Amino acid sequence: MPDVEMKPSEAKPAEEKKATTEEKPAPPAPISPVVEIKNNIALIDRAVSTLEPRFTHRVLRTLTALRKRLDDTILRNAVETIYAHDSAVKASLLVWLPEAAVADQSMDIDSSAKTPSEVVPEAEMYLRLLIIHHLLASTSEEVQSKALQLANETVEKMQSLNRRSMDAIAAKIWYAVDRAYDLAAEISDARPLFLAAQRTAALRNDDEAHAALINCLLRSYIAYNLYDQADKLVSKTTFPASASNAQFARYHYYLGRIRAVQLNYSEAHTNLQQAIRRAPAAKTAPGFYQSVHKYFVVVELLMGDIPARSLFRHAVLEKALHAYFETVKAVRTGSLTQFQTTLKAHAAQFADDSTYTLILRLRQNVIKTGIRRLSLSYARISLRDICVKLNLDSEEDAEYIVGKAIRDGVIEGRIVHEKGWMECGSQKSGYGPEVSEVFGRRIAFCLDLHNQSVKAMRYPLNAHRKELAAAEGAREREKELAKEIQEGDLDEEDLGGDF
Amino acid sequence: MTQLKDLYEELIRGFNSKPSDLNKCTVTLNKLKLGLIEAGLLLPKGDVILGDLVVAREVLEIGAIVSIRSRDIPSFDRYFAQLQTFYTDYSESLPPSKREYPIRGLNLIRLLTQNRIADFHTTLESLDADVIAKNPFISHPVNLERWLMEGSYSKVWNAREEAPAEEYKFFVDSLMGTIRNEIASCEEAAYESLPLKDAATLLFFPNQSGLLLFAKERGWQVDISAGTINFKTKGEEKMEIPKQRLISASLAYARELEQIV
Repeated sequence: MPDVEMKPSEAKPAEEKKATTEEKPAPPAPISPVVEIKNNIALIDRAVSTLEPRFTHRVLRTLTALRKRLDDTILRNAVETIYAHDSAVKASLLVWLPEAAVADQSMDIDSSAKTPSEVVPEAEMYLRLLIIHHLLASTSEEVQSKALQLANETVEKMQSLNRRSMDAIAAKIWYAVDRAYDLAAEISDARPLFLAAQRTAALRNDDEAHAALINCLLRSYIAYNLYDQADKLVSKTTFPASASNAQFARYHYYLGRIRAVQLNYSEAHTNLQQAIRRAPAAKTAPGFYQSVHKYFVVVELLMGDIPARSLFRHAVLEKALHAYFETVKAVRTGSLTQFQTTLKAHAAQFADDSTYTLILRLRQNVIKTGIRRLSLSYARISLRDICVKLNLDSEEDAEYIVGKAIRDGVIEGRIVHEKGWMECGSQKSGYGPEVSEVFGRRIAFCLDLHNQSVKAMRYPLNAHRKELAAAEGAREREKELAKEIQEGDLDEEDLGGDF
Repeated sequence: MTQLKDLYEELIRGFNSKPSDLNKCTVTLNKLKLGLIEAGLLLPKGDVILGDLVVAREVLEIGAIVSIRSRDIPSFDRYFAQLQTFYTDYSESLPPSKREYPIRGLNLIRLLTQNRIADFHTTLESLDADVIAKNPFISHPVNLERWLMEGSYSKVWNAREEAPAEEYKFFVDSLMGTIRNEIASCEEAAYESLPLKDAATLLFFPNQSGLLLFAKERGWQVDISAGTINFKTKGEEKMEIPKQRLISASLAYARELEQIV
């Protein structure tokens, strides 16, 4: 499966914008954006006429890269060249772009000769998507509110057209709509719209839009801390299995957050791990990568594990995860004082990441780790000493806490109440049926990966005939070669085709 | 509308009289709820007058408190579900209610006593971190939960007198029952035997008879002459090899390998 573009859904918009402006003045692109847009439109046309959604996907894959190179003139030129002069669609698109100076790019002269007579509506939607993204990239609020208007109009149009060949583009448009509402700080207002659209998408088996919409809804619920509703949405819907990797990564991320809040840490851990695995490379979407890892680290701590040290040395994560690294250190040493100071020092950041309540829950883990360390290093320790070492308030508390730790299986041992000490038992050996279970899970994962990749391979229609013909030709050539007894080179140019 | 107003005033009178007339309140509340549904205020939709909403909210709040006082938890549950619309969706347009946090806190305690920890945290997540730390009505259940999770049961025991509102005390008894059972299960795992006197202190029993009754319930062996409780020692856990699972796993691998080769 190809790696589809992925925007850092939680990243600060400011960073994103900065990236856009930085890249504008340096266009060493091998192909100019206008030409690229035109090529893309041609591809979309082909996709619609041959009923092969593959081509549309190819177009959408370039969306992120293209988005960063857009400006008013480019979009204007693209619209001008693609549509005929008196086209109504053209006028409706141009309304959204500011009046530009006379187009002065030389390369659109050659294309003006042939103006396509009719353009599929999918192409219009694609152009609208580009315009929305372009408007959203602007910093001024006025332009952003224009983007919101355009987004709403586009949604209306898209729903009235109701074409299946538009599904892939529609999914992207929904994402853009969500972003538009987000920037206008009106996400909660978009919920009814999304809910209605999600129902329709589910009924029409429109998997891509369905996946995108579920994610938009989850995001909106979680942004308002409505975990209850988000959980209900998850339990009432099935996430389409054919959704793209990027949507899956997002879905797993949200699911991980919901489960973490519900104290279902093992499931949260699985989901966050999936999100990390499915997410695009760290450099492409650093915002997403960082925020998944923040939750991942906290959940791992809550499960009683200590995240690997190398994670915090990762170039993208090092800075973002600094506060979490400090927390990990405190938990690892089992020192309540250090934990409290770390918590106090970084409270603002934790609140920003909305991990604060999760981190508060770590307090008991700190105590548990402390007890475990004590039980490993002492054969027998008095409750008073435990109390001093762990900074607990009273011996009475220590007795209850140790009792609970023994009950929960954190440590093996006994309390001898009359003498006021704890005796620590032997450690369990690491080899049991669990090991084979874990191993079995890994094998299952690898096998599944293999099967999935076999399924994902594409066999173009009639390609084998070509191969047969090629083989035929090769045989004949071979005969000739044998006849002439000379060295020849079998060229394989027609074996693979352009796929 | 005038009838509603009369009922409302009657409810306020009944609620404010000391001690509140619970039966009268319940009867009036039922009538009021019907009235509110007719006026479209119980589950407000679209444009409604803000003043009316405030009244509707107050009626529901009183309903929630009355149901706690008359120990009717399911009814409290229903009132709280209805109040959530007012607390979340209309939080911006309505003036804040002074009963909001006590009721939210009561709901948290209720979740705690029913051992619905996941719901407890989900609900907590919808509150501001500031409120959680500073508001006494909220921080009380939050602290209780933290101590319960840590195992500092004596702190929970001591906090039972510090309830920020009268209604909280209602939950204390059932909470203490939960704690006793928690402590008992810890003791079963952590001790081999325990003197009766100490067991009574640990389980917060003021006298031995309560303890003996409790010990009987949990099936502990009480040795009266020596004055100790003996806990059953668990036998060494037998390690069983999960044959069935291993065989089916191996077969599955064989099948998959067959497919690959």
